[in-house]
Amino acid sequence: MSRSQPESRVLVTIAAIGGALALTVLLLTFVSSTPQAALRAFFLGPFSNRYYLGNMLNIFSTLAITGLGMAIAFRAGVFNLGGEGQLYVSALTATMTGLALASLPVMLGLPIALSVGILTGAVIAGLSGVFRYLWDTDELITSFLIASACIPIVDYLIVGPLKDQASNLLTTERVPEAFRLPRLLAPSQLNPTLIIALLLLVVAYIALFRTVRGYEWRLSGLNRQFARYGGIHTGVYIIVPMVVSGALHGLAGGLFVFGTHYATLVGFTAGLGWNGIAVALIAKRHPLGVIPAAAAFAYLESGAHIAMLHTDFTFELGTIIRAVIFLFVTATVLPHSDIAARMSGRVRPFSRKRQT
Amino acid sequence: MIYYAIEVMAPLLLAGLGGLFAELAGVLNIALEGMMLAGAFAAIVSASLTGSIAAGMLGGLIAGTVLAYLFYFVGIRMRANIFIVGLAINLLAAGSIPFLSSAMYGTKGVLRLPRVPRMPGFFVGIETGFPLLDQIFLGHSFGVYLTVPAVLLAGLVLQRTPFGLRLRSTGKNPETLRAVGLNPDRYRRAALLISGMGAGLAGSLLALRLGVYLPNVSAGRGWIALVTIYLGYKRPFGVLIAALCFALAEGVSVAAQGVLQIPGTILLGLPYILTVLAMIAYSAMRRVAPSDD
Repeated sequence: MSRSQPESRVLVTIAAIGGALALTVLLLTFVSSTPQAALRAFFLGPFSNRYYLGNMLNIFSTLAITGLGMAIAFRAGVFNLGGEGQLYVSALTATMTGLALASLPVMLGLPIALSVGILTGAVIAGLSGVFRYLWDTDELITSFLIASACIPIVDYLIVGPLKDQASNLLTTERVPEAFRLPRLLAPSQLNPTLIIALLLLVVAYIALFRTVRGYEWRLSGLNRQFARYGGIHTGVYIIVPMVVSGALHGLAGGLFVFGTHYATLVGFTAGLGWNGIAVALIAKRHPLGVIPAAAAFAYLESGAHIAMLHTDFTFELGTIIRAVIFLFVTATVLPHSDIAARMSGRVRPFSRKRQT
Repeated sequence: MIYYAIEVMAPLLLAGLGGLFAELAGVLNIALEGMMLAGAFAAIVSASLTGSIAAGMLGGLIAGTVLAYLFYFVGIRMRANIFIVGLAINLLAAGSIPFLSSAMYGTKGVLRLPRVPRMPGFFVGIETGFPLLDQIFLGHSFGVYLTVPAVLLAGLVLQRTPFGLRLRSTGKNPETLRAVGLNPDRYRRAALLISGMGAGLAGSLLALRLGVYLPNVSAGRGWIALVTIYLGYKRPFGVLIAALCFALAEGVSVAAQGVLQIPGTILLGLPYILTVLAMIAYSAMRRVAPSDD
């Protein structure tokens, strides 16, 4: 996540993914009584039938939106690490709006519900942007902390007051039938989120690389002082990218409800927000790079899911894979370069020099 | 309640003191949470294997230190983003403990192992003539009495030794250190390892006091430990006061939970909110009066 990106970073990225793969193979071999079947399931499972393939593409869709949300914030030099919580809270507010508006026609009710989700994410992430603007608190940490504080509250609401009493699961009521997005590859969960995600990526690419605002946005990320010297109001490019990033997570949360689960379940985001960060880093913060990165991650995730069915006990293989990738993805192979000096500027995030 | 608060304070303080070293060396150790968790797990495992409290604490200490070395290696040596590496370590702890737990003992839930001894109380039966003081300060578990020398030692090392001076200048201005021919990375490494020991030991106290390993036993205490560093103005004695305040607050909130029926799940979010508030307060104050660090 250094603001410079030498070519050696490609190697590091490959090494990070390769390391995660190697570890996965090792773990599966170790824990499964039928390691061959488990490995087969991990590598080939996602392609073995319509159901798994569709589900993998569905994971890809959500990851593409969250990954884009991260990537465009990174582009402006701000860091949103609260995606997981933003996604989760927005899913809940979108669900609740959908339930409340059940009597409205779908063309009116669904957009309102999704907008509420978008707004929720935008506000939660925007707060961190405002804090950074006003008091220079590092948005990297505050976005993480605020989102982490929201997660137990949502958990509580789903388990407590908002629980669907008719269901045995820890879930809210399901949104009305009419509001549910159609399935594209039944019986899998694939739905129009995929199309929305791809459109968003293209729009973001054009906005970032083909417009003046996009230029200012990227310049603020490359060198905030220079951007300000050039007459750009850099404060705007702290708050707005956080808001947009949160809004995308809010949208992802809303679509996750209306397209995939039709309700908000406890813990159902299962790392989609975290993986968005990894996707953005692997994509080197480029909107179109998000496509292969999200595809790679969706493959790893669904492979891990399917392989777990072939082992003797379940564990959080996805979490471990994510940890390994996080561990190495921002590393650089150049030990003593100017990156080192620049990175040391980030070593003390609490007291970063005021750059706005 | 004060007795309970002191008991709660001990792990918080140890993790906070360790984190203070890292913070002063200019590395924000947000992996304290994961290190505490690993320390707690390792402590129960090694206490069960050996039947000894001391071995349990040593196990926790080693687990925290190992993670700290990983943090150093990737975050400092390989120059990765400190915050992402910290998160990775937290994830690694959160992901691999259930894995190890189910691989070794067949459960990823509460781990109640045989041969884990009870934490003995110290200074039991001694009377100083002040029953109230006796009640508050005596009979705590070993870890509590460990904190007193720990605070003194931390203060001494940081303020009165060349090592402490160099460590602090690593945080303030690593160029100075380079100018006199010293390698700032070595001090970052030392600071991180110390923070790993502190957090690992803190985790072992959490688990050994209960005698079992509970999933997510640290429950955000690693984050609170970070807050104590800031609220304590980055001074060991300040960390002590801040940790005591939080411990008292926890005592109050546990009591409030019973009286006011606040759901326990919501309290899990509290450490994060407090950390945000502390950060904002700290940043806002820095801008009003630029402090010396």
